Amino acid sequence: MLPILFIMPIVMLLMFGYVVGSDIKNIQLAVLDSDHSVQSQQVVDSFVNSTYFTVSARPTNEAQLKTALDGGQAVLALDIPKGFSDSIRQHRSSQIGVVVDGSDSRTSQQALQYSNGIISALGAQFYPQVAAAAGAGGVNVQTRIFYNPTLRQVNTMVPALLAFILLMSTTNVMSQAIVKERERGTLEQLFVTPIGRTDYLLGKLLPYVGVAFIQVCVTFIVGVLWFQVPFNGSLLVIGSGLMLFMLAALGIGMLVSLMSGTRQQAQQTSQFIQMPQMMLSGFMFPIDAFPRWLFYLTYLIPLRYILVIVRSNFLKGSTFMELWPQFAAMALFSVGIFALGLSRFHKRLAD
Amino acid sequence: MRRIWAIARKEFIHVIRDPRLLMVIMAMPLLQLFLYSYALSFDVKNLPTATVDFDHTTQSRQYLDALQQSNYFQINQTLTSYAGVDKAFESNTDKVVVVVGAGFGSNLAAGRAANVQILVDGSDANSAQLARGYTAALSRVYGSKVIVNQVEAKGFSTSSVPQLSSNTRVWYNPEGKSAAYYVPGLIVILVTTVLVLQTANTLVKERENGTYEQLIVSPIKNIELMIGKIAPWALIGALQIMLISLIGIFVFQIPFRGSVLLLVLSSLLYVSCALGMGLIISARAASVDSANQLAALVAFLPTLMLSGFIFPISSMPWALQAISYCFPGRYFMVITRTIFLKGGGLEVLWPQMMALAIFAVVIISLASVMYRERV
Repeated sequence: MLPILFIMPIVMLLMFGYVVGSDIKNIQLAVLDSDHSVQSQQVVDSFVNSTYFTVSARPTNEAQLKTALDGGQAVLALDIPKGFSDSIRQHRSSQIGVVVDGSDSRTSQQALQYSNGIISALGAQFYPQVAAAAGAGGVNVQTRIFYNPTLRQVNTMVPALLAFILLMSTTNVMSQAIVKERERGTLEQLFVTPIGRTDYLLGKLLPYVGVAFIQVCVTFIVGVLWFQVPFNGSLLVIGSGLMLFMLAALGIGMLVSLMSGTRQQAQQTSQFIQMPQMMLSGFMFPIDAFPRWLFYLTYLIPLRYILVIVRSNFLKGSTFMELWPQFAAMALFSVGIFALGLSRFHKRLAD
Repeated sequence: MRRIWAIARKEFIHVIRDPRLLMVIMAMPLLQLFLYSYALSFDVKNLPTATVDFDHTTQSRQYLDALQQSNYFQINQTLTSYAGVDKAFESNTDKVVVVVGAGFGSNLAAGRAANVQILVDGSDANSAQLARGYTAALSRVYGSKVIVNQVEAKGFSTSSVPQLSSNTRVWYNPEGKSAAYYVPGLIVILVTTVLVLQTANTLVKERENGTYEQLIVSPIKNIELMIGKIAPWALIGALQIMLISLIGIFVFQIPFRGSVLLLVLSSLLYVSCALGMGLIISARAASVDSANQLAALVAFLPTLMLSGFIFPISSMPWALQAISYCFPGRYFMVITRTIFLKGGGLEVLWPQMMALAIFAVVIISLASVMYRERV
């Protein structure tokens, strides 16, 4: 039990850090080059040199191109028609066919964004006269990205993991612990001893709070040292946010254990309620992209608020001043859920 | 045969008598189906945006209007200087700040470059990336529209200017519906979660309940016990796959372009793999607790993260890519998606089918050996 308690956060950190945190790159590219010219080679080189694409297939006709996309060997395909270089030499318009596998809308959008950029740069290269004639006009955009200049996904993921791991371990373990005693019948034995109910509960909670604390520390240290996530926040803000959140997580665990007769049931129930939390809190998927009705549902999930707190504080150094609405919501939830759990627990034992 | 049937019946009765277990088996897949179909989209619109306009001309207002009208940006406040930018980001009021430089209008009119600065809150990498892409594209479009107008005002035609264009076609899922992508993948995830977890529990539970000894003294053979134990779950797995496919096709309107036979065949192979993994865990684990944790560690987590369900395998570090080959979920993921969305048959899917077949044989034989040893 104990080693798994520590292996779990590390496995999750590695998984989420490296998988969820990975940026879309190495997009597989199929090239159907019917022109075989210097220019068509230049097109392919531009794609490869951008580092976003790697050539994974070189079909020689339309049917093979289709097979490459069907079989998932390529996500994007370039179809460079015969006569492509002649058009460029004779100053006529030329066209590259781009086929994208749209099944994964996220990857395909990203791939299209990259390829549009590359093709528009190639246009200026192939038709220098036109580019010169257009002059230096137009809108010149300069982008500055704050807090996470290289846009590493890991920097978004690791702070969130602090809260998520806390939720996973406390809810699960808490829900199991009480049910286990009940299953074994040791709960009744405990109550004939002079230990009070609140004493029992607190004593029961403390070790798990300790374990959760260590797990959060491990996550923090590995995140900062191994994944090199910059920490610009304050331990006080993050710590108090996580403490509040832990109350809510423990409360949820208590409620689950009260609803369950066996450990398997407890485990199933906590799995059942963890999944929507994972999906609807903004942990993995941006809640801004949800349909409206689903977006309003997210307000009911405590994890949503703590995620804003840890992310904002970790990377941007936001303080209580900016984060008070989230703290207020969290406090409300935590106290509410924990109190509910506690009172139900007392009632259950009184019966 | 009669003995296998007896065990299977007993197992079935266990399932039906446990309403919560039934809920997990049937309600959980439905919940996931709806959540993934509605919630899963990385395409953020209406990014909260602040503007700083140092130019105050018709052109600068037009430019900002163009951004607003694209639906990608939701302008919610106007700042007067850079001073408010940090506050806007730190309080999460805005994710993007668009700064229009002084002289924007006059530069545009004179055919010089007009400067715009886009400040992006990078703490949410996904939104930031989209914001960067959208602003760049919209600004380019706006700029070239102005240029085209200027050139045409001088009496030239722009349609004769040679240019390089791309003719883009989006195949398989042109509307970019996330349900179409995630529902076929969800089959893999759900089958893995439910089957591995439940079969992992079977033997351990008997052992914890002390009914295991009774089974040993009964005349039943190990292999019969094993088959009897997994038969109900194989059936439940098949039901789940059918349920998800039907809801996906009829409720979420996802296409089904491939062959039913191939889907059935590959499902059989994958269900065998999942059951085998469950049995192996069951033979190894000492308690229900550790069976659950092991199932999460070797089945659920790798299948969710390393199968390409949400996160493209090609973007992962090579070590994880190598590991992903060791879990059968990866192959079944390709198969379900290809069958549903692309209509590919055995001619493109044979490598995945072969891999699944090998996994199924290896896992099942390993499971039966370990099961026998344990018993």
